[in-house]
Amino acid sequence: MQRWKQGTSAALVGLGAWWAWAVWHAPLDAVQGVIQKILYVHPPLAFAAYAGFIGAALAGGLFLVRGNERFDRFAAASAEVGVVFCTLMLITGPIWAKGTWGKWWTWDPRLTVTLLLYLAYVAYLLLRSFTEGSERAARFAAVYGILGAALIPLNYYAIELFGSRALHPDNLERGSLGEGMGLPFALGVFATLAAFAFLLVRRFELGELRAARAEQLARVAQREGA
Amino acid sequence: MNAFLAVLWKDLAIEWRSRDRFAAMLVFSLLVVLVLYFAAPPSLDAAQNGYVPGLLWVAYVFAGVLGMNRAFAAELENDALSALALAPVDRGFLFLGKATASFLILGVVQALTAVFFALAFTLDLWAVAPQLAAIAGLGGLGIACAGTLLSAISVRTRYREVMLPLLLLPLLVPVLLAAVRATTQLLETGSLPWPPIQMLIVADAVYAIVSFLCFEFVLDE
Repeated sequence: MQRWKQGTSAALVGLGAWWAWAVWHAPLDAVQGVIQKILYVHPPLAFAAYAGFIGAALAGGLFLVRGNERFDRFAAASAEVGVVFCTLMLITGPIWAKGTWGKWWTWDPRLTVTLLLYLAYVAYLLLRSFTEGSERAARFAAVYGILGAALIPLNYYAIELFGSRALHPDNLERGSLGEGMGLPFALGVFATLAAFAFLLVRRFELGELRAARAEQLARVAQREGA
Repeated sequence: MNAFLAVLWKDLAIEWRSRDRFAAMLVFSLLVVLVLYFAAPPSLDAAQNGYVPGLLWVAYVFAGVLGMNRAFAAELENDALSALALAPVDRGFLFLGKATASFLILGVVQALTAVFFALAFTLDLWAVAPQLAAIAGLGGLGIACAGTLLSAISVRTRYREVMLPLLLLPLLVPVLLAAVRATTQLLETGSLPWPPIQMLIVADAVYAIVSFLCFEFVLDE
């Protein structure tokens, strides 16, 4: 088990190094210059953040249906890692925006919904830590996670209708990247998602260990009490 | 259905006898209007500034959060909340009773706040009173539905008064945005703007259905 983790960590570091090398050697964008290289970091972070939030909502729903606490521990891990990646995305985004749009932030639907989603999942983590009793915290968090995810389309639609105009580009289409930009971008997506999965598994394991330890302590207390 | 009416009647009777939730919400929302007035430049002509009517929703949301915080607080005494959860009825109807009571209390606060707001900013809200009431009602319904579900959650956590706004506000955005746009456009044109009203109806329906279904999971026995 330990060797497996060391191997994966080493592979991740190697992948990260390859990615950094590819980004370094990627061609400069004719219009945006060097700031455009955030492209190889920012969208991959967004994919990982969304994956984390969707994973938390799905696992929460499974917990409500099946009642198995392992789903809840997966949801907690997924939300926490998702928030980490979302934080990084919200840091890299404004840097890119300042370089290309000339301002740090716009109230564009995509940005606004992402910010709201971020705030909702930070509240989700607070809710978990402020609720006593693991079963209750699991139920509350699952309901809130589902609510948060269910409202994404509604939020998006509302802001698109009544908010400000869009500056953020739509999703990349095939062939919209310049020559030589495809490899570093693909590497970025792959490395970020791999890092996300690695952290998710490690965080999930930590939750499992904590639960096992709590169970063990409860058994010892029971034996001593008897 | 009887459970719905029983819970609604119970909540309204308690409120009628004490009036403390209503009084707290009203005083707070008047104070919010006062702060908003102080924040505006002295030379402000409210009728010429499109954003001013939308400020009404700042007071509504704060009053709503304050009121929703109290929605389940009284149930904690003598562990009445557990008794409510043990009642052999569909919990969805308990939700409807609680939400309707909050909606009605909020409605009265909204009406009185609007009067004070109109006086403070010298806006002619009286001319559009029925339409404004419709928008305030639809917005209030969203606050009451989402608020009731999340209040049942937050009342069982530590720092419950702090937890509710953190949980509620990110989810209320569709309602708030549509309600603010509807109010602003109503004051500009004098008639009900249809697209934000549609958005309000859709958002209210989503909140009501999801909260009705999820209420099952947030009550503890």
